Amino acid sequence: MEQKNIRNFSIIAHIDHGKSTLADRILEITGALDKREMKDQILDNMDIERERGITIKLNAVELKYRYKGEEYILHLIDTPGHVDFSYEVSRSLAACESAVLVVDAAQGIEAQTLANLYLALDNDLTIIPVINKIDLPNADIPKVKRELIDVLGFKDDEIVLCSGKTGEGVTDLIEAIIERTPAPKINNEAPTRALIFDSYYDAYRGVVVSVKVVDGSIKVKDRIKFLATNEEFEVVEVGVNTPKIALRDELVSGEVGWISAAIKDIEGVKVGDTITVTRNEAFTQLDGYKPMKPMVYSGLFPIEPNKYESLKEALEKLKLNDASLSIEPETSDALGFGFRCGFLGLLHMDVIEERIRREFGIDIIATSPSVIYHVNLTNGDKIEVDSPNKMPDRASIKSIEEPYIRTNILVPTNFIGPIMTLCQDKRGIFDNTEYIDQTRVNIHYFLPLSEIVYDFFDKLKSSTKGYASFDYELSGYKESNLVKMDILLNGEVVDALSVIVHKDYAYQRGRTIVENLKEIIPKQLFQVPIQASIGSKVIARETISALKKNVLAKCYGGDISRKRKLLEKQKEGKKRMKTIGKVELPSEAFLSILKTDK
Amino acid sequence: MACVYIHIPFCRKICSYCDFTKVLYNKDLVMPYLDKLSSEIEDSYEKEEVKTLYIGGGTPSCLSIEELGRLKQIVKSFSLAKDYEFTFECNIEDIDGDLLYELKDMGVNRLSIGIESFDKCKLEFMNRNASFPDIKGKIELVRSYGFNNINLDLMYGIPGEKISNLKKDLNLLLKLNPEHISTYSLIIEEHTMCKIRNDENILPEEELKMYNHIVSKLEKKGYIHYEISNFAKPGYESKHNLTYWNNEEYYGFGLGATGYIKGFRYSNTKSIDEYLLGNFKDEENLVSKTEMMENEVMLGLRKMEGIDLQKFFDKYEVNLQDVFPVKPLVRNKELVYKNGHIFINPKYIYVMNEILLKLI
Repeated sequence: MEQKNIRNFSIIAHIDHGKSTLADRILEITGALDKREMKDQILDNMDIERERGITIKLNAVELKYRYKGEEYILHLIDTPGHVDFSYEVSRSLAACESAVLVVDAAQGIEAQTLANLYLALDNDLTIIPVINKIDLPNADIPKVKRELIDVLGFKDDEIVLCSGKTGEGVTDLIEAIIERTPAPKINNEAPTRALIFDSYYDAYRGVVVSVKVVDGSIKVKDRIKFLATNEEFEVVEVGVNTPKIALRDELVSGEVGWISAAIKDIEGVKVGDTITVTRNEAFTQLDGYKPMKPMVYSGLFPIEPNKYESLKEALEKLKLNDASLSIEPETSDALGFGFRCGFLGLLHMDVIEERIRREFGIDIIATSPSVIYHVNLTNGDKIEVDSPNKMPDRASIKSIEEPYIRTNILVPTNFIGPIMTLCQDKRGIFDNTEYIDQTRVNIHYFLPLSEIVYDFFDKLKSSTKGYASFDYELSGYKESNLVKMDILLNGEVVDALSVIVHKDYAYQRGRTIVENLKEIIPKQLFQVPIQASIGSKVIARETISALKKNVLAKCYGGDISRKRKLLEKQKEGKKRMKTIGKVELPSEAFLSILKTDK
Repeated sequence: MACVYIHIPFCRKICSYCDFTKVLYNKDLVMPYLDKLSSEIEDSYEKEEVKTLYIGGGTPSCLSIEELGRLKQIVKSFSLAKDYEFTFECNIEDIDGDLLYELKDMGVNRLSIGIESFDKCKLEFMNRNASFPDIKGKIELVRSYGFNNINLDLMYGIPGEKISNLKKDLNLLLKLNPEHISTYSLIIEEHTMCKIRNDENILPEEELKMYNHIVSKLEKKGYIHYEISNFAKPGYESKHNLTYWNNEEYYGFGLGATGYIKGFRYSNTKSIDEYLLGNFKDEENLVSKTEMMENEVMLGLRKMEGIDLQKFFDKYEVNLQDVFPVKPLVRNKELVYKNGHIFINPKYIYVMNEILLKLI
């Protein structure tokens, strides 16, 4: 195989624009899988990925295609496509020479289209614009073409039309990929450098590392070295996925594949890091490596205290495959033993929580997510705080800085008003707007990350009838007037319910939280006051009146079994309750903290 | 020693709230039913001495004199203990000299009469009928036949009912000077007229007020509040019903009846056709020791005096507090420990399920 016939590309798109279906069709047409082997959306392995229509873990597939009498090797490198994983996306794009930019023929350009495009351009990739789903009855090809031309500067004749569903135009696309993707730069003789763009844990082979060999080669039995950590391992296997596993003797400059080297701990394998080999050692990393840092933290606690060990095992298993998940033990007065977990973003958090519930069957309570605050103390020290309960005493704080993001919110122009209102409510600072065309606009705001942790997505959806698409990038830290607000039940602070809020919004948030809690917490034997307080000052209060009736007024011979069943049913309902002090709290109470209105 | 319940499912009229096993009175069915009842009893009754006998329904008092005669024959098959209690449920309208004569002859020594209310609106809601002067006359008649242990039922919490309606009902009831009073708030059960027409309970706050009023009023009048819904003059507590609350065994005979014998809880078929074919039992389960102890708690705590810890130990050879998390609840004053008994703090009796849920 000639290295000049290698084409490394990825497909990027906004969610639901048909990326996975298109990938499946490419696999089918190149004969990588026959019809019988096709499972829909083969690249999305996890159930949750399939259900949500998103790709979380990356995959690379090697495909063969004969074109104009020559055989080409195509490496399709899949990307997660979600903002939470933008660093991983950027590294997998760095392994490519081109990106297929997929735009839905009915929807047009959306926020993630732009975000992903910018990432691809940052990596100097050739962009192949594609209008997908042209078979849709409401496809508006001329309009979407105009957007691609006017907004993104493509030429009319560059744009490929296709349908992943029917297969129409997909061959044209494959040929366009071959024609337009530059062959990778070949440096067979240079010291070996391979870019890590993904890894996963395999019970038999240890960590399997997805790489693109940029310079030199990696062979079986080579001693490899990770430049970020200086750890060394001996290569056991190298190979590619076709998408079936195919073993090779070596991977050479320009090729994409995987290596396994009996690596036990995924944490040493960092996406973006460079691998070299000791027989042909390089000493400088490839550009663009950043250690990944969690953006959002949340406490995860088992509802049943005896499930602590199971939760620990579940998190450890998930972590085997996910270096970006951070876990450390946490103890809460209210919730007992659990873990403080760091996530790349909200979707990442959601997915992990869901997998714990679903794959491991553990009922958990997740506490209100927190961002990382930079706290400047009066003694001149700077500390990072990832939990309201780690916030130092108010007297010792000089100032608090919080992370901000810059938004891409794409909406039809008639929703500009509601979007601006929403962003102002969320303490947004207006940056600017860009018109996509006369009907659509990209609104840029600076927003505190902590505000989108709450119900921003839901609000965005409801205030734009679902027409808005949203994406963001981190823009840095800014000082804010923040305070810790505690929630008291029956006069006692429930540590797991504390939140950090902006002082000007504290009263309103406090009101909302106590009102929501009043709705959610069932009546108890005694009256339960709910208070929100800052320091010792109570800023909002509600009272749950005592339960008046829960009795089997009548119970004679014929009733005994029936009444027992009734009690058992009530008991079942209580299982999801956590007793804090004397108060029984349903697990939803912890989520209600997230809601900023009733 | 045995306790026996016998179910007579026939009614002349169906009350809107009733979810007991019942069928409209049909002359052609009664005698065959009584024949089957007799054979059911013969099949399983082992001639133990009977301490309490309770004939309920349905409406046992709606039977004709001839039918009552057949029932009397059946009852004769039981060997009654010396100090037996024999209760017979009566509908107030059915009461007359002939009926009372038959009951007396049968050996009945306690009557349970469903009065429920004297209030026209409440009665209309319940699909019942009666007036205070009539009732008063009937009760006098009952007394003249020498019945001196009478229970009267009273219902409250009927939609639209105010505390003033209840007070009036209760005052009239007290004028009849019954030895025993059972009071129930309306429960809207599945498959009742109330459920079908979508009746709704009054607010729990209101209901609790009514309950508290009943308790304080009756206690003032010298009644002992001995179970959540039951009050008696000293010495007139229902021995039969205490069997249930003490989690003791009892026979249940007749359509839809349930029983608890030799460690098994069973329920009879609710289908009159099946019953007449002689297919009596519908379900039968051996009660595990855990379940038995849980039942002991669930039922025992219904009594205001609660559970006798020594008796519990004698019966199960284990301390109640070692099996159930009693201590934190005593600490919270949800349960009270006194004179070797554990009972629900009377303050929480109307929310006692919450406490049970923490215990079992």
